[in-house]
Amino acid sequence: MSTPLRILIWLLVALLGTLALATVALRRGEQINAMWLVVAAICTYALGYRFYSRFVAAKVLALDAQRATPAERMENGRDFVPTNKWVVFGHHFAAIAGPGPLVGPVLAAQFGYLPGTIWILAGAVFGGCIQDFVILLFSVRRDGKSLTEMAREEVGRLGGLVAYVAVISIIVILLGVCALVVVNALKASPWGTFTIAMTMPIALLMGVYLRRLRPGKVLETSALGFALVMLAIWGGQWVSQTPSVARWFTLTAPVLAILIIVYGFAASALPVWLLLAPRDYLSTFVKLGTIALLALGIVALRPILHMPALTRFIDGSGPVFAGNVFPFAFITIACGAISGFHSLISSGTTPKLIRCETEARMVGYGAMMAESMVAIMAMIAACVLQPGIYFAINSPAGIVGAAPEAAAATISGWGFPVTAAEMHSLSQTVGEQTLYNRTGGAPAFAVGMAHIFSNSLGGQALMAIWYHFAIMFEALFILTVLDAGTRVGRFMVQDALAHVWKPLGRTSWYPSVLATSALIVGAWGYFLWQGVKDPLGGINSLWPLFGIANQLLATVALCVATTIVVKMGRARYAAVTLFPLVWLVAVTFTASWHKIFDPNPRIGFLAHAAQLAFSPGTNIRLIFNDRLDAFVSGTLIVMVGLILIESAVEWVRVLSGRKQARVKESPFVATQFATEEQE
Amino acid sequence: MKPRLGTGPVGTAALGFPGEQSSTGFTALMKRAVMLLMSALREIFDESAYVRFLKRRHMVSSREAYSAFSREYEATTARRPKCC
Repeated sequence: MSTPLRILIWLLVALLGTLALATVALRRGEQINAMWLVVAAICTYALGYRFYSRFVAAKVLALDAQRATPAERMENGRDFVPTNKWVVFGHHFAAIAGPGPLVGPVLAAQFGYLPGTIWILAGAVFGGCIQDFVILLFSVRRDGKSLTEMAREEVGRLGGLVAYVAVISIIVILLGVCALVVVNALKASPWGTFTIAMTMPIALLMGVYLRRLRPGKVLETSALGFALVMLAIWGGQWVSQTPSVARWFTLTAPVLAILIIVYGFAASALPVWLLLAPRDYLSTFVKLGTIALLALGIVALRPILHMPALTRFIDGSGPVFAGNVFPFAFITIACGAISGFHSLISSGTTPKLIRCETEARMVGYGAMMAESMVAIMAMIAACVLQPGIYFAINSPAGIVGAAPEAAAATISGWGFPVTAAEMHSLSQTVGEQTLYNRTGGAPAFAVGMAHIFSNSLGGQALMAIWYHFAIMFEALFILTVLDAGTRVGRFMVQDALAHVWKPLGRTSWYPSVLATSALIVGAWGYFLWQGVKDPLGGINSLWPLFGIANQLLATVALCVATTIVVKMGRARYAAVTLFPLVWLVAVTFTASWHKIFDPNPRIGFLAHAAQLAFSPGTNIRLIFNDRLDAFVSGTLIVMVGLILIESAVEWVRVLSGRKQARVKESPFVATQFATEEQE
Repeated sequence: MKPRLGTGPVGTAALGFPGEQSSTGFTALMKRAVMLLMSALREIFDESAYVRFLKRRHMVSSREAYSAFSREYEATTARRPKCC
């Protein structure tokens, strides 16, 4: 393609993106089509990838196509395998795509679609994509080392320790919150509970099929499992309409919480091939298919966004969670814009598959763009709902009242009209007993997704099937995160305990397996129980805590990245990682301050504890939970503060010439692969 | 020079397109896209890892081989975090 034509095309992309962003940002008082969000996102990502990531690749990181990657140098057919870049892209995307970008934007939609959308786009292009790309490349240049190892080597011992504790903390909080989302989605829902219950025997069946009947045929087994899950969804309708059976699957939140805790323990202690691996395959199969289907549904339907650009709740008085748009919109969106958890994947399996350094750009930066697009789709799914319905689903009973009429009146009083009859009719359409107070984001996302699917395919008659398909998709997704996370946490604890007494580190020694599984499950189980018992629905306290932990891990990753950039002698470009680092520090430290010390009891943990202490007949456990949450937030902030100081000292020492700038990269080895395909 | 990646057997991390030369234009493009998608799915679902395992151990696919693969893979897959 000739240069003038290329310039013209990119100018057109820029103009179209500007127009779409202006429409998204400036239209007031009239509803806009969701396609404006899609176009704004695609143009922003295209420009970010073509220009910004290219600049970072060339000037900051100086990607070298001639340098052999660990996949080439250490090829062993097991962990280190030079792999086609599109295959690595798919692999990496499947690993980073979790429930966060689906739930976060749905919760943040209480501010309107604008704040969340802007953060998803800007946060991804300048923060999340950069973090994933840079950490991936630095890991590639260090034989695929983990973030914790890089932190220890490049920043200092403290950095390594903080990264380790941050990872464990985020895993525990994440699992507690994710489990709570599932509980809130399944409580008093016999259809949903039956479908999810059926995924357990289906996974066991898949495990046996894969091991005994068709060894190695994972795709075939997953397709079979998917067909059985669809059958379970269909069967769930019969269950919900048959009162004698339905009562067995109509469970309260505490009962569901106990069942999930027992499941988490079993999944951690059972052999991987029997439950964890088949569920993982089934979940990935459903995840990739549903995301593709949702994208097609949005393009086919081109729905109208009923949620306004900004709601009155930007002042911090929102019913879904309390707190001002700054910093809480940025905490809530989580993985859709930037996720510290991604740095674990970028310094885990993926760097061992990259066959050429230059491909790190497409895999690291590109896969995060795809993840961010998923967040935009979730935002659309939430905003196609009438705002009154959105708030009726997502508001806890403690805010809007438990009775349908009272809840409808409160929400209508906020300027978002909804009637009890309307909500009743919607519940009937989706096959639920009620949709009130279904906090956590999953049910609202499911209603939005069912609306998009049923209007694109099958009409209103299939609304209930699509709703339960969406619930199944989210719950399956989350339970997979839960069992994999519990196992990863268990291994991390075992690794640490091995320093105390060697047998505790042996993953084949059952007493240690059971004890460490119980420890991890007990930790996230406590947060789950706390959420279930919280009169404000749990999400109000726990989702921000998860968001803070996740963004703090990103802060650690960006500290490591900035330190390496400075040591590489490229301090003049350090703003590339320093800018998102400063922003994240501002956001997370402000959010933590509010969560601990804000005088509003709906925001500040300590203020809430004080309010409870003065209320007659208060459960002492609720006060303890608030103080525990405040302690966890404070501890995370102190630890990240320490790594920030340690990193800054390192930068100053290097820049002032008091320390020699030397990075701990693997020595250069020229690639033996032909380079004609490389960029 | 090592061989160019892209000539390995289907089912491994490298991609092979046996009929690539004989097809042209849109058909070839579609064929390539489908092959790429299938390769990505095989990698994501660990089928490629199993093929590599069989090759490395000089084994043929069987219950015993898959059990051995599962045991070896448990150590790595079970330590892989799933993102949020």
